Amino acid sequence: MRLVLAASALAAAAMPSSAFAVDYLSAEQALRLMFPDADAFETRTVTLDAAQLQQLDAQGVRGRSARWPVSVARRGATTLGFVVVDEVIGKVELISYAVGIAFDGSVTQIEILSYRESHGFEIRLPAWRKQFVGKGNTSALRVGADIANISGATLSCTHVTDGVRRIVAVLAIARRGGALA
Amino acid sequence: MNLGCDTDLWLRRAQPLLGTLLEIGVRAPGGVGHAALNAAFDAVREVQACLSRFEAHSDVARFHALRRGERMAMRPAMQHVLGAAQDLRSATGGAFDISLGSAPDGWFCDRDRLHKLSDAVRLDLGGIGKGYAVDCAVQALVAHGCGAGWVNAGGDLRAFGGADVAVQLRDERSGGVRPFATLRDGAFATSHFDHRSRSQVAHGARARPLCVHVSVAAPLCLWADALTKVVAISGDTSHPLLARFKASAWLH
Repeated sequence: MRLVLAASALAAAAMPSSAFAVDYLSAEQALRLMFPDADAFETRTVTLDAAQLQQLDAQGVRGRSARWPVSVARRGATTLGFVVVDEVIGKVELISYAVGIAFDGSVTQIEILSYRESHGFEIRLPAWRKQFVGKGNTSALRVGADIANISGATLSCTHVTDGVRRIVAVLAIARRGGALA
Repeated sequence: MNLGCDTDLWLRRAQPLLGTLLEIGVRAPGGVGHAALNAAFDAVREVQACLSRFEAHSDVARFHALRRGERMAMRPAMQHVLGAAQDLRSATGGAFDISLGSAPDGWFCDRDRLHKLSDAVRLDLGGIGKGYAVDCAVQALVAHGCGAGWVNAGGDLRAFGGADVAVQLRDERSGGVRPFATLRDGAFATSHFDHRSRSQVAHGARARPLCVHVSVAAPLCLWADALTKVVAISGDTSHPLLARFKASAWLH
């Protein structure tokens, strides 16, 4: 084991802290990882009406949005499953993630697409969040600056878990309503 | 080691596991990377299924369902972690307590058998299980041919294969990160304890609520994770147990 303290480590409390960001996968990479057998991905937008949003509420899931883009994974005429990309905001983090859902409605995989650790106030500023829209890991990982890890009190992934539950419920309602057939 | 000269592919992925974000980065020959990452995530899922008190069929849930005087066979993950916890309980005079005060002496391990000695005992392996899961993920990556990399379970981090991993500490009050160290072939764990944090320890007769931010470096993540609790409770960054496990500690 070898551990070398950063020059600033012992004076850390006096140093200003900075933001941290990492891109893991692009949405495109996540689709291929989750459904490697698919030969096509079709983008559909599920739009929930007022009654469907009420159904979500009744399940204890806050709908948040009426419009949900869904990627449908197909192999020939067969639908293999669905992928939904979403983002959640925590106290100091912004996380975008993809959920893979099998044709039977079960969650097959959850992949984090990107992670932003910031000062808590930054992630609530639209301008700060906007700079990450559409970003993905399209180039090879840059060794050096990109290889950094955060240590700290365990970050909760409750927001992601809640988000996954919402997506599963949205897809179930959409399919009962005839969308995504 | 100059990582910049490597020609192998580096991959980095993260999934929500162990109640946090589990991140894995590896350098692997082309084609094996994602299979190795999948195997490592699966290894962690298996540990979680065995040790989580929230999973109905975990060994912990099975133990909770026992009555006093009964015993059960443990799966290897549970046997490993409880063996370590029993060792630490003994070495700290009971201060390291995975029952979080419910009944510190309410359980006992005898090889692969776990005995329940009190109806009140409730086990919470949050203070040691994540570190063990990280070690299992590293094992899976190495077994799948990954030359170097790291696994980070929301602050319980291990680097292997000569990779120099920059470690940044989160500012627990306001967010943001600060550079702290570079880690190679070892583990580094940080815990933050106060009345609001998720990490909790039972600390006996201490009158003051525990409010401390501690990091430990050790060769294995299980020990780095567990020893943060020992240092938090004792407030001693020179605790004798640190030397026994070739560990170093910092209070922030």
